[in-house]
Amino acid sequence: MSPKPHRAVIERVSGYADEAAAYLRRRRTTRRPFARVYVAGGHGASHRPETEPGRELFLAAARLIDVAREDRDDDG
Amino acid sequence: MLVRVQGGGAAPVAVSDRTAAAAAAAPSGATAADAEVAVARLHEMSSDLRGCAVIAPGGEALAASGELDRWGPAAADLLAAADAAAGGAASQVHVATEDGEAFAVRLGGFAVVAVAERFTLASLILFDMRTVLRDLARAAGA
Repeated sequence: MSPKPHRAVIERVSGYADEAAAYLRRRRTTRRPFARVYVAGGHGASHRPETEPGRELFLAAARLIDVAREDRDDDG
Repeated sequence: MLVRVQGGGAAPVAVSDRTAAAAAAAPSGATAADAEVAVARLHEMSSDLRGCAVIAPGGEALAASGELDRWGPAAADLLAAADAAAGGAASQVHVATEDGEAFAVRLGGFAVVAVAERFTLASLILFDMRTVLRDLARAAGA
């Protein structure tokens, strides 16, 4: 007996949601810190934290993240 | 949410005083007021956003989601580091760290810097940032 049509739709949507959740889980476990800088025209480059430009980018980003955290703390 | 705007070189002012301050401080057209709207819109659009600031073409912070005197120098540092890394004017920066993600986008002379939750969907945040920057550039040119 074939399933009811609405059940087929629900199963398909659940399948997509499961796929998306699995993708996000993999992304969380495999992703490492990175810094990417793009120029006009869309050309970009990644900078590793061991390099001088990369170190400066990570330090500046960390300062900015601290500022956002301080604001959040101030707001309560 | 508390939005701070540039008060003509004076200390940042709270959102309750924004209309008068923005009208007094706007360097060209209604830029400071538009920057304030841009910050509010970004917060509205991006649920993962922790905070952001709008930087004028001259490099001064026009509006921010917190203290301008804290956001201004931190934003300038990120833009300077990005320019140094790119060897010229960087148009977009994305730095993902263990504590969160920092973004910067330049468009039409203005820049927006933002901090978002870790693992946020970068393309959505960057799209929102470009959207508010386009509106800002359009308003400044009007």
